[in-house]
This record gives sequence, structure tokens and C-alpha cells, in this order.
Amino acid sequence: MAKKKEENKPEEEQELSLEDSFAQIEEVIRRLETEDITLEESFSAYNQGMALLAKCNESIDRVEKKVLKVNEDGGLDEF
Amino acid sequence: MQNVYTVAQVNSYIRNMFTQDFMLQKVRIRGEVSNCKYHSSGHIYFTLKDAKSTISCVMFSSDRKGLPFRLSEGQQVIASGSVDVYERDGKYQLYARAIELDGIGALYEKYERLKADLAERGMFAEQYKQPIPRYVRRLGVVTAQTGAAVRDIINIASRRNPYVQIILYPAIVQGEAAVPSIINGIHAMERLQVDAVIVGRGGGSIEDLWAFNEEAVAQAVFDCSIPIISAVGHETDVTITDFVADLRAPTPSAAAELAVCDFGRLEEQMAEYAYTMQHLCRRTVQSYRSRLGQYGVRLKYLSPLNTLRMKKTQAVSLEERLQAVMEKRLQESRHRLAIYAEHMKGLSPLDKLSQGYAYVSDESGKKLSGVEQVDVGEKIRVCLKDGSLLAEVREKENGEKERRK
Repeated sequence: MAKKKEENKPEEEQELSLEDSFAQIEEVIRRLETEDITLEESFSAYNQGMALLAKCNESIDRVEKKVLKVNEDGGLDEF
Repeated sequence: MQNVYTVAQVNSYIRNMFTQDFMLQKVRIRGEVSNCKYHSSGHIYFTLKDAKSTISCVMFSSDRKGLPFRLSEGQQVIASGSVDVYERDGKYQLYARAIELDGIGALYEKYERLKADLAERGMFAEQYKQPIPRYVRRLGVVTAQTGAAVRDIINIASRRNPYVQIILYPAIVQGEAAVPSIINGIHAMERLQVDAVIVGRGGGSIEDLWAFNEEAVAQAVFDCSIPIISAVGHETDVTITDFVADLRAPTPSAAAELAVCDFGRLEEQMAEYAYTMQHLCRRTVQSYRSRLGQYGVRLKYLSPLNTLRMKKTQAVSLEERLQAVMEKRLQESRHRLAIYAEHMKGLSPLDKLSQGYAYVSDESGKKLSGVEQVDVGEKIRVCLKDGSLLAEVREKENGEKERRK
């Protein structure tokens, strides 16, 4: 029998990943789309969505990267 | 004196020797193909050689079904057939009836066996496939540090997202050292905790790609806790690693496309989210505002002030109706009065008086309607149209009696 893969990295669960954030935003949008949402609900949903978006924006790293190479000692050099 | 033979006789004799030799009639020869010519007649002429020697070969078009691939220079093959003499040229050659690739056949067999084995162990099962994260920040690449594959991956990845961190493990991708090198690369990526790994190399022969068909590599790919995209060779090359990987890319470029999100599209997506949410929120506010407006109108309609105004209007209308009815009644009464007056006028005694009639009463004013009411000598009052006369009765005549006579 094949060995099952380990569960995904646990530390990613603390910090919401971009796809999780996107999924939550989609959910917020779905809620906003329902016709019978109360005004209060719609405001809080909107705020939640915008906060999520801000978080996404924060989590996106906008620094250009150099390609790195693993060297013999397991360290990293510029490629 | 020795016999003298013709050339044909000698060649025929030799040929006879060949055909009588059991071994030469059914022989398998291993060698490298050279001088390969596909003749227009459909026959194939080539030479088999090894380090020490060469032998001419021909495969007739009628035997072509024994050749499942296109014969070309440098191939290591095993040709089966018979060695015979071509009498005209006095040459012997191999008449090949079947040719197979040497070595590769065995590799294919090994490949198929391992594939079946790993499939049976569930290592290709969908349930073990990890999704590739949508937004990969750190991308591991395990491939040769020279060559097109790494260039393609770096180009495509940084074009799609210049902010992605690419970490290359310079792996040996063919030959003896390839297997441990690739496995080390995968382990290094696990230690570095990248978000996804591309494992692969550019195109090559089946032997060149062979490391990716080794069980140890397949096991390392399977065990890796980080999602792995395989990109081995060209689209048509499918290795065992491809089956085990979480995602198979047909080429290294395609792997980069799959691993790295399009940053521009990502930003667009976020802007779209913001716009959609704003739009929807505005729509909700708008809808509440319009409901509010409607309630306002309805409330205004139901307000006491409005009721009062309505009641007033109603009162005015009632009053008008009342007046109209009253007016009508008065009109009618007036009319009737006029009729009565006319009528009365017709009955008025005064009118009669003017026509020569008179109203007669006694002195006290009591109406006289017959002669027996007065006696002779009594005074009576005769009223005429313009006044009255006091007269004295001189004589009485009973008119009725007269008439009855």
C-alpha cells in the first residue's frame, strides 16, 4: 500500500493563504448578491470583503526576486 | 590436372554451403546500423557493424512488417534472418526478416512493469494529488542548471510574476548520478519549504529521460509534502514521474505557466472583487433607499394631516350636494306654488265678480247662498269687483219652486 503524503504545511493555516482569502471574498460577494440581505449585514459583509482584499494586497510581495541556486552546503547563492 | 570452374559455379557452390548451414539460416545479429538506405523499391539496405567488423544487410519490402520503427544511423539493433550469398556479386549478406531495437526494448518492458506496479500500489491515485497553490511565492526548480529547461522556466515564471522567488537545485538529470541527484533536489526543496516544485528536464531519448522512470525518484516525488509539477521532455514523453507528480506539465515552459500565477491577472481579479463588492453594496443601499422612498410616500398618504384634508374635502363635497338637493327642492316647491297660484287664480271669486257676478252676504257678513236665508226688508251686502253695496230686500221669489212648477 502506498504511503500517504503528509498533511500540508501547518504554518500556512495560521496565515490565510491567498486562495483562502479569495474563496472568502467570493463568499462575501455571494452574500452581497442575495436580495434579502439587511443593510447592516451588507455593510459588515462589505467591510469584511474589503479587509480581506487589503490583507491579500499586503500578502502579495511586490519585490522583484533574483533566481537563487542551492549550493553544495545546502545554502543559497545567486544564480 | 585440376578442374577449372566458372565464377558462377564457384559462387553457386558457396551459396549451397551457406544454405545447408543450419546456423546461418536462422541467425540473430546484434550491431549498430550504418549506411542505411530506404530504396524506392521498398527494400532497405544497411550495414551492421560493431567495433571490429561489418556485415551487409538487406530487408525486403515483403518483410517490412518485421520492422516496427524507422531504421536510422547509429541505432543499436538486433536483426534476425538468414545469411546468404548473392551469387551475381559473390557477396554474402544478411537477409533480415525482423529487426528490434536493442536495449530500449528491455527499457520499455521495465517501464511498463514499474508503471503497472506503482499504479497497483495506488501511487497514481487522484486522492493523493495535492493542488498547486494559486499564488506561489517561492518556486523550487529541480533540473539541470544549464540547458533550455531552466531558461524556459525562469523566463516564463518571471514574465508571469516578476515577484516570484525561484530557487534552483542544479540537478544531474541523466546518467548514473541522476537518480540520487534528483531525489536530493526534492529533499532540499522540502527543507526550504517552497510553495511548489517543478521537477524535470528537456527532451531526449528514452535513455536520457530514464532517471525519471526509476522507482526511487517516483517514490521521492510521491512522498514529497510540497506539490510537485513534473515536466520531463516533450509533450509525447510520459515518464513514471509524470504519473506520480501532483500535476504533469507537457514541457518545462508549460510547468512554469501552471506553477506561477499571472500577476497582472491577479491584480485585475482583486480590482474586480473590489468593484463587485462596491457595486453590490451600492445596489443594496439603493434598493433600501428606494424602499424608504416608497414608505415615505405611503406614510405621507396615511398621515392625520392628509386624513384631515381628505375629510374636509369630503365635507365640502357633502355640503355642495346638500345645497344642490336643497336648491332643487326649493325650485320644485316654487314651481308648484306657481302652479297652485295659477290654479287659485282661476278659482278666485274676485275674478267671477268682474264678470257680473256678485257676492252676497247678510249684514254680519255671513254668506247668502239661498233666498230662504233672508227675509224681506232685511239688509244684505252685495260685493262687487270694486266695492260693496248695502241693499234692502224688497221681495223674495223662490226660484227653485218656480222652476219646479
